[in-house]
Amino acid sequence: MFYQVLAQLDNMVHFPRAQAHCDVPCGIYDPITAQIAALTVVRMVDLIKDIEGKEPLSKSDYHNSLSRYITVKEEHAEKAKHEIRVIWGDYFKAQHLEKFPQTNELVHKIMELGSKARQTTDRKIAEQFVEAINEFAQIFWETKGIQTKRAKAPYAPALELVYPIL
Amino acid sequence: MLKIWRINGNSMSPEIQEGDFVVIYHIPFLKRFNLGDRIIFRHPIYGVLIKTIKQIDWENKLFWVAGESPHSLNSQKIGPIEAKQIFGKVIWHIHPN
Repeated sequence: MFYQVLAQLDNMVHFPRAQAHCDVPCGIYDPITAQIAALTVVRMVDLIKDIEGKEPLSKSDYHNSLSRYITVKEEHAEKAKHEIRVIWGDYFKAQHLEKFPQTNELVHKIMELGSKARQTTDRKIAEQFVEAINEFAQIFWETKGIQTKRAKAPYAPALELVYPIL
Repeated sequence: MLKIWRINGNSMSPEIQEGDFVVIYHIPFLKRFNLGDRIIFRHPIYGVLIKTIKQIDWENKLFWVAGESPHSLNSQKIGPIEAKQIFGKVIWHIHPN
């Protein structure tokens, strides 16, 4: 209540401003980066599986391609986890967590799935990783009062992603 | 002397957020600050800032400050702050909820 009184007073007397500057533009958060990174993990799992029976590939070409896929899978699983941690840590406030009490547990689940996706080439794990991040994206957009839709990504592996309806 | 300020930006997040109000306490010529105090001060480049005191050089009476968010300007970029640049320290923080 006191805040509302001050806010009304501020409209009249305009209190001085103190800047809480950041190095990067604050307030720009979007889970799509994490969603695409998780989708990339699934794609890399597919490519890893595809290359197994591929012929004729020289040993060096096989190892070269395989190591590239694994590297990208590692990077994107970690990138997705990082993006979720940033949104959860910097954007989510107490009032969001009160409204969506499942968020903390969901973030922890995403961290675990991201690690498992790095450790294995199990497509189901990678799909669960995508889906958990989709759930997070849905909560994120709901905190902003923005409706969402589910649509297949227009590129392989064409899994469903949660998109904001803007 | 007490004065009300409003906050722009999120470098003090999650504790102090964009749009919050703070009350600062200030007595001219009696500037005592400690580690962890949140202060409002004038910076020659960045203007009027709110940050937390992270280190104090007692010998030269210089204060090293930074925000609470990992994205905040860091102490090195802000540089040392002298007591004369400080408007006061936050004694009350008012947020919407």
